[in-house]
Amino acid sequence: MIRFENVSKTYKNGTPALIDISLDIEKGEFVFLVGASGSGKTTFLRLLLREEHPDKGRILEAGRDIGELPKWRVPYLRRNIGCVFQDFRLLPNKTVFENVAFALEVIGRPRATVESQVPQILELVGLSDKSKNLPHELSGGEQQRVAVARAFVNRPLILLADEPTGNLDPSNSESIMALLERINRTGTTVVMATHDKALVDRMRRRVVELDRGEMIRDQVRGVYGIDEGIAI
Amino acid sequence: MRVYFRYALKETFSNLWRNRMMTIAAILCVAVSLALVGSALLLKQSAAQASVLWQQGTRVTVWMEPTASTTEINGVRTQLADLPIVKSCDYFTQTQDYNEAKKLLPPNEWAVLTVSAMPSSFRCIPTVPSDAFLVQNTFTGQPGIYQVTTPGSQIREMNKVIRILQIVFLALAAVLLLSASVLILNTIRMAIFSRRREVSVMKLVGATNWFIRIPYISEGFVQGLLGSLVAIVAVTALHTWYPLPNEFHLDTAALIGTNIVVLVVGIVIGSVGSAIAIRRFLDV
Ligand SMILES: Nc1ncnc2c1ncn2[C@@H]1O[C@H](COP(=O)(O)OP(=O)(O)OP(=O)(O)O)[C@@H](O)[C@H]1O
Ligand SMILES: [Mg+2]
Repeated sequence: MIRFENVSKTYKNGTPALIDISLDIEKGEFVFLVGASGSGKTTFLRLLLREEHPDKGRILEAGRDIGELPKWRVPYLRRNIGCVFQDFRLLPNKTVFENVAFALEVIGRPRATVESQVPQILELVGLSDKSKNLPHELSGGEQQRVAVARAFVNRPLILLADEPTGNLDPSNSESIMALLERINRTGTTVVMATHDKALVDRMRRRVVELDRGEMIRDQVRGVYGIDEGIAI
Repeated sequence: MRVYFRYALKETFSNLWRNRMMTIAAILCVAVSLALVGSALLLKQSAAQASVLWQQGTRVTVWMEPTASTTEINGVRTQLADLPIVKSCDYFTQTQDYNEAKKLLPPNEWAVLTVSAMPSSFRCIPTVPSDAFLVQNTFTGQPGIYQVTTPGSQIREMNKVIRILQIVFLALAAVLLLSASVLILNTIRMAIFSRRREVSVMKLVGATNWFIRIPYISEGFVQGLLGSLVAIVAVTALHTWYPLPNEFHLDTAALIGTNIVVLVVGIVIGSVGSAIAIRRFLDV
């Protein structure tokens, strides 16, 4: 589903963010991206969205080299990728329903589809009774669930999450994690960058660790810290 | 397509409404600038029209010596009739000229005149106004001719002033247009800035660039349209209630023409301004 072939990325100011990354992620996999701050996790995800271009190497998604997509096709690439961020990124003046519906309207889904899909997905994230609320009327955990609903409503092949639990307390983190797992079980590939040690350790999923742009570990059933990983 | 049309329309008007203070500011800016532009254009046309009318009124007068013989007068008459640069001539006899002088001059001056001392004259209209001087050069100094006069240097001076005025009006209009464009660009830029977040979300969920752009462009379009409509009302009101006198008075066709220019310019400024603002500040 996702393949990095010797990918390097250096930002314009000379910061090397990723160095010679090669990696395969299969369809339906769940991958944690860990590493210290500034190790290149966000850069990794931004490359997948083609918000940035690699300087070297190529990135394939669903077998296609995304570097070769013409610029106007990029939005269509993004329709197959759902995104969740630490800061939720909801539209503040749209209701919960509208925020989720937005993702469908943007890709031109007819109104009937919107009206049937959105309540369904809100049910899934457990926010049916808040569909008319505005984001600022929700707790952080609820806002993040809306964000997950929006990311998943058009059934993307890939779901990228950049520290989705970064702003949440443990119990809210749990429920977001449970949602991501559920989404993953439907066959969606999930890549999640995180600093949440407890979560990673408990989930026992594939862990890719970056250190100053280099991939220093790729473990099938890993934990957060490298030493503990070796110990197992 | 229909879905998008409805979306774009809804988005445009809800954005306009949400930022209504900005919207009103932008519309007023466009309205004031375009009203001034429209007035400047009208004044320019007025000036041009007056200048043309004055020139068309240009006459060349060939004054004969009071002592000129009938042969000399007839000679000049045929010569004038044969000259292609002269359109038509009226002959004023000595008596007619005397009567005219009586009307034009103050009593103490015409009192010294006598009919027999008056020159008779040909009042001619040149085919092209600027040929007046050519006619003057041709006839000056011929036997029997006292002198040839062309429109006073006053009118020439006036035309020079008017030409300068026209340039000033046009320059004024251009400067105003420029400032109106910058103002629209700026309001749209601020609107976009306040919605950067929204746009980044749109890009994230896979909105195409045109999908994002069109509501902003139509927002600029609406602002330009409303602004120019207000300007048109102002210009028309000015034209109707404070009409310019005489040669400066323009007909309705000129007003309509100017209003169409104002409308088109407003719409173009609004749409193009926002399109540029989007390109520059949104990177979509
Ligand atoms: N837009 C940018 N321009 C220049 N340098 C950047 C840019 N974004 C990131 N960097 C640099 O690239 C490196 C990797 O950054 P990145 O955001 O990928 O790290 P990260 O692993 O996501 O960190 P964190 O855990 O703090 O989010 C850092 O050194 C950072 O300073
Ligand atoms: Mg990051």
